[in-house]
Amino acid sequence: MRLPPRAICRSFFLAALVVTAACGPPGGCRGDYCGTLVFAATGQPDILLPPVTEQAVPRDIFDQIFLKLADIGMSTNTVGDRDFQAQLARRWEWDDPLTLVFHLDPRARWQDGAPVTAADVAFTFDAYTDLKVNSPTRAALRSIAAVTARDSLTAVFRFRTRYPEMFFDAVYHMRILPAHLLREVPRDQWTTAAFGRAPVGNGPYRFVSWTPGASVELVADSAFFLGRPHIRRLIWRFTPEHEVAMTQLIAGEADALEFLGPPPNVQRAHQAPQLAVYPYRGTAYGYLGFNLTANGDTTRPHPLFSDREVRRALSMAVDRERLLRSVFGDLAKVPPGPLSQIWSIWDTTLRAPPYDPAQAASLLERRDWRDANSDGVRDRRGQPLAFRLLVLSTSAVRRRYGQLLQEQFRAIGARVELDVVENTVLQERAHAGKFDAVLASWVTDPTPSSGIPQTWTRDGFGGGNYGRYHNPAFEAALHRAATARGTAQEAQALWRTAVQLIADDAPGIWLYAPDNVAAVHNRVADVRIRPDSWWALVRTWRIPSDRLIDRDRVER
Amino acid sequence: MTAWLMRRLAAAIAGVWAVVTLTFLLIHLAPGTPFLPGAERPADPAVIAELRARFGLDRPLPAQYVSYLRELVRGNLGVSFARRRPVAEALVEAIPNTLVLAGAALCIDFLLGLALGIYQAARARRAADVVLGNATLFFSSVPTFWLGLVLLLVFGQWLRWFPVGGVTDPVLYSSLPWAGKVADRLWHLALPALTLGVVGAAGTARYQRAAMLEALGQDFVRTARAKGATERRVLLRHALGNALLPFITLFGLAFPFLLTGAVLTETIFAWPGMGRLAAEAIATRDYPMVTAAALVAAVMVAAGNLLADLLLAAADPRIRVASE
Repeated sequence: MRLPPRAICRSFFLAALVVTAACGPPGGCRGDYCGTLVFAATGQPDILLPPVTEQAVPRDIFDQIFLKLADIGMSTNTVGDRDFQAQLARRWEWDDPLTLVFHLDPRARWQDGAPVTAADVAFTFDAYTDLKVNSPTRAALRSIAAVTARDSLTAVFRFRTRYPEMFFDAVYHMRILPAHLLREVPRDQWTTAAFGRAPVGNGPYRFVSWTPGASVELVADSAFFLGRPHIRRLIWRFTPEHEVAMTQLIAGEADALEFLGPPPNVQRAHQAPQLAVYPYRGTAYGYLGFNLTANGDTTRPHPLFSDREVRRALSMAVDRERLLRSVFGDLAKVPPGPLSQIWSIWDTTLRAPPYDPAQAASLLERRDWRDANSDGVRDRRGQPLAFRLLVLSTSAVRRRYGQLLQEQFRAIGARVELDVVENTVLQERAHAGKFDAVLASWVTDPTPSSGIPQTWTRDGFGGGNYGRYHNPAFEAALHRAATARGTAQEAQALWRTAVQLIADDAPGIWLYAPDNVAAVHNRVADVRIRPDSWWALVRTWRIPSDRLIDRDRVER
Repeated sequence: MTAWLMRRLAAAIAGVWAVVTLTFLLIHLAPGTPFLPGAERPADPAVIAELRARFGLDRPLPAQYVSYLRELVRGNLGVSFARRRPVAEALVEAIPNTLVLAGAALCIDFLLGLALGIYQAARARRAADVVLGNATLFFSSVPTFWLGLVLLLVFGQWLRWFPVGGVTDPVLYSSLPWAGKVADRLWHLALPALTLGVVGAAGTARYQRAAMLEALGQDFVRTARAKGATERRVLLRHALGNALLPFITLFGLAFPFLLTGAVLTETIFAWPGMGRLAAEAIATRDYPMVTAAALVAAVMVAAGNLLADLLLAAADPRIRVASE
C-alpha cells in the first residue's frame, strides 16, 4: 500500500520523536451522534458575551451557546409572530396590544444545571439596555418600556407603542443571560468579563476551550431540552485572511465557510470534490454614496451633490447591470434602492434612475454643466465636475467598482479620482463627512425598519448616514411603512412608496446586492442556512454514520 | 567591562523609551480611529462615544501620554480595545509563539547559512558556488510574504504535505499524547519557519562566504597550510574561527528582520504570535496593543543587540579592550 505524501510527512515528524499509537488512526466514536465540524472563520471573536459585541464571528459562536426566547424562521419574516420558532419560550400571548407574555419552557436549563427563569429574562433586558454595558443593540430595544417576571416561568414585556415588528424586537436582539452568574459582575466591566471567555449558556452546545488567535471549541449538550444535536463537536478555526480560510476549506482542513466571496472562489469550491455549495439570499448591498454636505464641513451644502439633478445625472451615467456582471458574474443582483435581498420589501419593479447617458448629459447641460474648455471635463462658473471617491483598500470588489465607475463618469464629462484607504481611515472620514463620495456596503438586519433609518435618515447623522441625506417626506413615508397596521399588501405598498422616494432622490447609486454562497463538506446532511445567521440551524445538521471520517471519531 | 555593560544597558533603555514614545504618538496621530465596526453594520454614535470616554480617548493627547507612561511604569499595559482583555494577557500568549517561530527560523537561518557559506567558500568560483550564489541571491531578494504564499500553495493546498496555517491541529491536538503534541507542533511550524529561515539563510550565506574568502586569503591560513594542516582543518578551525565576527554581528541584526518578517509570515500562516497581534492591532487602531507590541519588539531587538555585543566582545579581545 502506498502512503500519501501528507501521511509520510506527518510520519517523518512523528518518527523523529516517539512513534506512539495515538498518532495513528484516531478515536472510536460510532453512530448518529458523532461528527466534528470545523468552520473556517476570517477574524476572531473579541468576547463571547452577547450584549457586548455584535461582530459576526463571536455572534456565530454564541448563537450555539445562548438561546433567544424565540427565533426568526427561514422566511426571515419580521412582521407579527407567525413565522417565529419557539426556543426558550414554549408559548406566548398578548395580554393587550402593548403587553406580550412569554411562558418559558420548564425543561430549559443553564449548562451548570440551574433552571432558566423569567428573572433571567428581566435581568437580560436590564443588561442590554444598561448604558454601562453599552450594548450595540441597545437602540433596537427602545420601544420596550419594561420586562418583568410575573412568576418564575412567565416574563412580561411592556411596549411603549404599537407597531408590526413588536415581537421581532422582543425576541431577536437578546440572547437570554444567566442572572445567577452575571449579577455580581460590575456592568462597566462586562467588556472584559471572565465570563465572556468561558461562557455558560442554555443552548445546544457547551463552551469547551478558546485558544486565542487559533480556535474555539464547543461540544454538544447531550441533555439539551430541545433535542440532542447530532454533530458532537464544533470548532471554529480563525485566520486573519479570507483567502487562507478558503485554502483551508479547499485543502480539507475545514468543513464549512459561510461566505465564499467572489466568483473565482465559488468556482474553486465547485471543483473541490469534498464540498457541497449552498447559495442563499445575501444580507448586504453596496452603493456609491454622495456626500450632500461639503467635504469636511457638514454645515455647508456640497457644491455638486446638494443638487438633486446632478446626482440623478450621475446615477443615469452608470450602467449598473453591466458593472455587476463584470464584477460578480451572476452572483449578485442590482438593488432597486437601498435594499438587501433578505428583506421582504425587495421589489424589482421600483424605478431607480435608469441607465441613459444621453439623458444624463442633457440633465447636466440644463444645470449649466458644460465642457467650456474642451478638456473632457464639464465645468460651471470655473468649477469642474470633478470629485474624489473614497474606496476601501481591502475590498477587491470595491476597488474594481471604483475603476469601472471612473470610466462611466468620464464618458459624461465627470472626473473622478480614487482615494483608496484602509477601513479605519474610511470609517473616520465617512463618519466625519470628510469625503465627496464613498463606495460603501451594509450588512443588514432582517428588517428594513431599523436598517434604513440608521443609514438614510436624520437618525443616522454621524453614524451610518455618511452623506447626511435628509428628506422629511421620505422619513414620514418610512415611518408610515414601519408602523402600518393594515394588511401585508398595504404595508408593502407603503414601503414601496418610501423606497421610490429615495430612489428618485438618488442620494446614492445602489450598485449590487450579492447572493451569498456557502460551502460545507458533503458528508454533512440536512444542511440549511438561514440568511441572517448562517450557522443558526447547525444543531439540526447531521453526519450519517456511514459518512464519518477520521476527525469525526476523535475522542477528545 | 561593568561600566561598558551599564552604558549599553542605559542606551538600550533609552532606545526602548524612544520607540514606545514614537509609537504612541504615531498611532494616535495616524488617520483612522478605533471602535468603528468593520465596515459591515452602521455604528451607533452614542455607543462609540461611550467607548471613547471609557478608554480616555476624549482627553488631550499629552494627558493620555502621561497616563500611559504612569501605568507603564506600574507594569500595566492597559486593556485591548479590539480583544477586550488585558494587553499583558494577550502578549503572554503570543510571545512564546513568536519566540518558537523566530527561534526555529534563526536555527534554519544560521545553520543553513553557515553551511552554505563555508561550502561556497571552499568551492569558490566553481560551478557549485555559482549556482548557490545565484540561488542565495534569489532567496535573499524575495519578499517573505511571497515565499510564504508559494509554500502554502504548493505544500499546503496542492501536495497537502503540511497544514494550511495554525499552531496545532484543532481537532486532534487535545487527544494526542505528549510526543504527538510535539510532533503536531513541529508539523505546523515547518512551513512558517522555513519561510522566515530560508530568506534569512540566503543573506547569511552570502555574508559568510565573503568572510570566509577574506579569512582564507590571510597569512595565518597560508602558514597553516604550509605546516601541513588538512584542508578541512584549515577551513573549519583556522578560517571559520576568524570569519565568525560578521556572523555574530548578523545575529544582532537578525532580530529586527525576524520580527518584521514575522508580521507577514504569522498573518499568512494564521500563526497567533506577536507579529499577527501587531498587524491586527494596527488595522483596528488598538492603541494599547500597538504600543505594547512595539515595546516588546524594542526590548527584544535591544536584548538581541546587547547579546551580540557581548558575544563580539567575548570572541574578539580587541573589541573588549577598545571598549574598556
